[in-house]
Amino acid sequence: MSINPSDLIKDMLAAATGAAKGHAADLRTYLEARAKLIADGIVQLAADRAANLITDDDVRFSLQQIKESEATSLLAIDATLKAAAQDAINAALAIATDALNKAVGFALL
Amino acid sequence: MLKLKFATLFSTALLLAACSAMFVAPYDETTDHLLTDLSVKTETAIAQADAGQLSVTDREKLFDEALGAVRTLKARSSLFQKNEDEVKALSQLEQRYQDLKQHGASPRSSLATGLRATLLDLQQIQIAKKRSSVFSAGLKKTNSSQ
Repeated sequence: MSINPSDLIKDMLAAATGAAKGHAADLRTYLEARAKLIADGIVQLAADRAANLITDDDVRFSLQQIKESEATSLLAIDATLKAAAQDAINAALAIATDALNKAVGFALL
Repeated sequence: MLKLKFATLFSTALLLAACSAMFVAPYDETTDHLLTDLSVKTETAIAQADAGQLSVTDREKLFDEALGAVRTLKARSSLFQKNEDEVKALSQLEQRYQDLKQHGASPRSSLATGLRATLLDLQQIQIAKKRSSVFSAGLKKTNSSQ
């Protein structure tokens, strides 16, 4: 049995895309949750300051903390993208392995 | 001709066998559980602070325990290869707790947004690693059943 390169590429791309889709959905949910958390925090910050529960120094401190936390958000996005790339590549390789095994007629890999 | 075809297939097979990508550390259930416990403790303390029910003693206890937990997590995470993002994120989390502790005010939700965001970032890293580990296990199962 011979390998059809165009079919193999199509199947590998489909597998890679499918593998990355779950991570893309997770990333969207995470970014929405993070944006909501920050927005709620800012609303609470304004409310607490208006109610004199916190000082101007507290407000400056909180804003600085939010700003510094953005670095960690980049790390979370980076880890998610790496995991997505890993799964996509391994899914494509699994398709290639399967095609090779079929071509040789036994489970070589 | 047949020999050449077989040699090509064999060398491709060797190449594929050696080419399994690994860009992130595997999912670690213990890290995930410790992080979830830390988030629950932190959110409970924030709720108490919002209600004006978190004493100075309880606040100090929260920060001491949280810093201990984060340092434990960081030590564990550093044992895994390809785990740099998580280790850096844990260093950031340690800094958030230290900053809040040094600021001296009660950790109300309005002051703890940066801390809560950092906890969320670390939870996303666990979700990504867990999805990837489940996916890899599925691929291995499919391959071994063929």
